[in-house]
Amino acid sequence: MLTISDLAKKKILALLGAEGRQGSALRMAIMGRGPAGFLYDLRFVEGTTKAPEDVVVDAGGFQVFIDPDSAPKLKGATLEFVEGVQQTGFRIDNPNPLWDDPKARAVQEAIDTKINPGVAAHGGFVSLLDVKDDIAYVALGGGCQGCGMANVTLKQGIEVIIREAVPEIHQVIDTTDHAGGTNPYYQPSKGGGASPFA
Amino acid sequence: MDRLLLLMTTTTYRAGAFLEAARRLGVPVVVGSDQPQVLAAANPGGNLTANFVNPDEGTRTIVEFSGQYPIRAVLAADDQGVILAASASAALGLPHNSVEAVVAARNKYRTRKMLAQAGIPSPVFQRIPIDADPEEAVREVSFPCVLKPLSLAGSRGVIRADNPREFAAAFRRVEAILRQPEVVAQAGEFSRHILVEGFISGREVALEGLLSHGRLKVLALFDKPDPLDGPFFEETIYVTPSRLPAAMQERTITRTAEALKALGLRHGPVHVELRVNDQGPWVIEIAPRSIGGLCSKTLRFVDGISLEQLILRHSLGYGVESLEREGQAAGVMMIPIPEAGILREIQGQAQAEGVPGIQEIRLTIPVGQALVPPPEGTRYLGFIFARGETPEQVEGSLRGAQRCLTFAITPLDDVAASECAGVPAYVRRREMEKAGSIRSRPRLPAGGSRRSE
Repeated sequence: MLTISDLAKKKILALLGAEGRQGSALRMAIMGRGPAGFLYDLRFVEGTTKAPEDVVVDAGGFQVFIDPDSAPKLKGATLEFVEGVQQTGFRIDNPNPLWDDPKARAVQEAIDTKINPGVAAHGGFVSLLDVKDDIAYVALGGGCQGCGMANVTLKQGIEVIIREAVPEIHQVIDTTDHAGGTNPYYQPSKGGGASPFA
Repeated sequence: MDRLLLLMTTTTYRAGAFLEAARRLGVPVVVGSDQPQVLAAANPGGNLTANFVNPDEGTRTIVEFSGQYPIRAVLAADDQGVILAASASAALGLPHNSVEAVVAARNKYRTRKMLAQAGIPSPVFQRIPIDADPEEAVREVSFPCVLKPLSLAGSRGVIRADNPREFAAAFRRVEAILRQPEVVAQAGEFSRHILVEGFISGREVALEGLLSHGRLKVLALFDKPDPLDGPFFEETIYVTPSRLPAAMQERTITRTAEALKALGLRHGPVHVELRVNDQGPWVIEIAPRSIGGLCSKTLRFVDGISLEQLILRHSLGYGVESLEREGQAAGVMMIPIPEAGILREIQGQAQAEGVPGIQEIRLTIPVGQALVPPPEGTRYLGFIFARGETPEQVEGSLRGAQRCLTFAITPLDDVAASECAGVPAYVRRREMEKAGSIRSRPRLPAGGSRRSE
């Protein structure tokens, strides 16, 4: 099911010890998808929080609880701990495809190959959150989050590209919390003032 | 199908509402903006970059574009696009206001002159070059007066002065705004002068309307219940329907129609601001576009049609005469910016949203960014929307929600320059002077906010 490297085990046991939580379990879940792949949630929980439907992995010294929705997407994955100049921390090597649904896979490919390379020019990125009932749900990040032109990028760019690539998609809905955007490429201004880059 | 060209700068608040309206109407849209759209290459028939500052050049671009992608109507979302929209419409033979009328409306001095020439009651007014010595210029000024830039929006740079000392200070403050590079780029020649006009006391109202070949359809008359007596004129609450006596409402509409005619505006949306006192209604400003910011969410017409849907339908030549505003009272509060600084935290939003009558709260400046109050500020902190049975209820809801909100703000004098992106250097310097960081001066009291540690 899930492999945990020796170094990762050692680090987790050390963390449990440091927090005085010997006997606790590690809960692992897939929270969604981002530009770099699956988004994971890892947290220590009490052993009593195990749900009957959880998949349990005995890591030797602690248990890992995985909810039934996340379990298939973690099959064959490896939890590692890496130490290096560019990254230090836990990393999950997951061989599973981001999407099982062929429609979602096609939308993801359009985002990866046509949309994200474009919006990267403004420091932005687009993540596919879900595809349901011919609607693609996306979130905009980086320079696109809070950008005054986010709606234009969505309607005149993202939606056009996705519908061209996957004609079954009828609508693209932006679920972004634009009020939380800290570095928007274009900031709205009273009266539609001059663009800062004019 | 022919397209509708929607002109908007990349800093507009209006993109979402207009694009959603177009989607609901099933109208193909071309977004014409002053800067390239990031994914424009993927949709060449849906995006266009045009020069808003040079309407002749911008018009050539639009006419050339329409050769490949025919355009059925041209509409500007904000002030910045209205002259180009008029110019392009004329070149394409589409119904629109004339360029001359729109240019007159974009220049507050020219507006004043044309209204006065048409015999419409006007305050005394004059135009003073920003290079003038305010101590000299003040000799021709009577008090109280209001100084304002010729073409900025949202009360930016509008300051009242009651005496020569206040006049000189206000003049230098407006001058500093007009010398900002982005203002010079945006306003061009309009940035070389300051309009000085007599202060008109009274209650302020705003009329949202739609002109069809010279005939005015009133979409809403808003009261602005907060007194706008200066020294700055930060707009806060708009509530419709108006609580003015019916006869005064009629006079306000008549005065508005006269003023629009005097300017030569005949077709498309208009947003007109007036003051009402015992001498009747006085026109303050006329804009040949719809209401700004996110305030249009306040207006909803039969069958849930939005203001933008109505404007798009009108621009495409569909009848809108039968589309009346829904019966409920509605209002919006543009949340006042309590003081200059870096926004650290917002508290009480959930409680504010729970106030009866509140429909939505949209905060539009994220935590971590700079707040700049009027007269220099160019951004709205956020919007509170409410509906109710009566205007009084709506106003009460808006005020109740605002009371729930607390903004933790670190004053500009307490933060590093690197955190002050978007704050003009002279504003930061003034705030530091106020705080005594540069030279000792008493600190102004803050209201509606708490200072973060």
